[in-house]
Amino acid sequence: MEIIKKVYGYLSSMKTGLVLLVLVGVAAALGSAFLPDVFFNSWLFKLLLIILSVNMVFCTANRFILFKSRLIKNRNRWLREIGSLLLHAGIVFILAGLLVHTYYGQNAQIAIRTGDTVDVSRVIKMKEPFSLHLDDFKVEYNEDGSPSQYNSYVIVIENRKVKNDAVISVNHPLNYRGVKFYQQSYGYLVKAKYINDAGNEVEELIKEGNFIRPEGTERTVKVFRYIPNFDPEHGMATKTLRPDNPRIIFSVYEGDQLLGVGAAQFDERVEIDENVYVVFAGVEPYTILKAKSDPGLPLAFLGGGMFVIGVTIALLAAPSQEKKQEGSFNKEMR
Amino acid sequence: MKLLITVIIYALFITYLLGAVLFFIGNKSGKKQALLTAGLMVKIGFVLNIAALIVRAVIAGRLPLANSSEFTLWFTVIIVALYLFYETKAKMREAGGAVMLISALLIGSILVLMKGQLGEAVPLMPALKSPWLTIHVLTAAVAYACFALAAGLAIMQLAKAETKITDGSIHRIVVGGFVMLSLTIVFGAVWAEQAWGNYWSWDPKETWALITWIVYALYLHLRRRLGWKGKTASIMVIVGFVFVLFTFFGVNYLMSGLHSYA
Repeated sequence: MEIIKKVYGYLSSMKTGLVLLVLVGVAAALGSAFLPDVFFNSWLFKLLLIILSVNMVFCTANRFILFKSRLIKNRNRWLREIGSLLLHAGIVFILAGLLVHTYYGQNAQIAIRTGDTVDVSRVIKMKEPFSLHLDDFKVEYNEDGSPSQYNSYVIVIENRKVKNDAVISVNHPLNYRGVKFYQQSYGYLVKAKYINDAGNEVEELIKEGNFIRPEGTERTVKVFRYIPNFDPEHGMATKTLRPDNPRIIFSVYEGDQLLGVGAAQFDERVEIDENVYVVFAGVEPYTILKAKSDPGLPLAFLGGGMFVIGVTIALLAAPSQEKKQEGSFNKEMR
Repeated sequence: MKLLITVIIYALFITYLLGAVLFFIGNKSGKKQALLTAGLMVKIGFVLNIAALIVRAVIAGRLPLANSSEFTLWFTVIIVALYLFYETKAKMREAGGAVMLISALLIGSILVLMKGQLGEAVPLMPALKSPWLTIHVLTAAVAYACFALAAGLAIMQLAKAETKITDGSIHRIVVGGFVMLSLTIVFGAVWAEQAWGNYWSWDPKETWALITWIVYALYLHLRRRLGWKGKTASIMVIVGFVFVLFTFFGVNYLMSGLHSYA
């Protein structure tokens, strides 16, 4: 019993809490400087956060038990007591939410082409599966050609019925049955066709970096990159993201040998071999959404709210009564 | 407009610097005239600082809340506003030198590190288009400004053998800054959840804001529970401000992350 009491005493003391807080701070500083992606996901750092959570649970529990007696002792400081309790409990809730997120949260990236439908339950486990259909993807631009918003026009389909239509844009996620969808990125597929001497036209949708292998020639064409606003001065980088002067950068190979590089306009016939032509008819955008399900989110938000309210009233409500309490609190610090 | 903002920033830098020098001279020699002129410089600087924000808003065509030079202008204008309030309440000008020097150096950083930023009209990127931008950035500016003022007071308190600057007043300003930093972090998390899909990503700015928060949380706990006051407390307040500066400058210039808007 003595040992348990001692361990509990140590784990629940504020001194331990402060030491842990310093450790978290030092660890975070080191982690942000060296290998942040590895460090913050390491078990060592998680363990530190878990120990801090345990300490804060005990610390807050002690506070809660002493709450009534403290109120009686410091009747005029009840606002600060409530605030203090609220803010510490809030931090516990935030850490608990983070813990739930770590073990039960799901994240996935979904790429959808205009007109396509994706079954979301294939990437995020859920009880009632639904699909997302992309009606359209549009980028809005500022006057200077920089992007001002990315919009995915989606339709939610559940049991083959249309349930919801929404626009997902940056800062405006879609929340459906606890799964949140965020506008994360986008890309283009290039519409390419080739025409050979037999007069056959073949159309293909090609991802940047992939090859077209037309019939009737040994040569291949690499669709290197789509440049929305081509300017020779900017080289392979686009001048702006707005499609003011779209070009497709391509290269022609024979075997491993590079024959040439070009920047084709849309619908321009490019002869790559005798009587074999390649035409880039345009691009088709696809959107990349981030899908997330985090059962810990309500807990973290509740904690955040408690923390904000707590910290505000604890520290701002009764600043002038500070002197009276010094003596009574010093004893509690173990 | 481009020329106008450059002229205002230079004038602002000189005004704050002159104010600092006059405060130091006045406090050392006890010359009333120097202190009065210093006080005038603070007020002229305050007006110039507001003018800089307005001109910047006109150039950018929006509220100036996005890049680091815009933030710096808010940072200093709030420091000076808080200082003026403190000076009237405490009825003394002992801290003016350090506080004005901090403000001058911050404006100087615009001239050295963020050249050209204020003259260009760069539209907001999609991630910044949110009502949270105003709330998150302004709470951060108030928090940083409180910490700057507290550090200024702490420096002067340490530098002088006899001073009217009280430990209690420094503590009260830190408390204000701590509440605002707490709000900044939580509001930032709520916004990050909306914009990036995660309320916490261990982005360098987030991480260092948290570390700064931990430093001041330690100060508050140690002061209240262990009675750390006077010299030790003042040193902690100054150290805390070094963390604030690193969170602002160090992270922007030494690390890359989601907060790279400058």
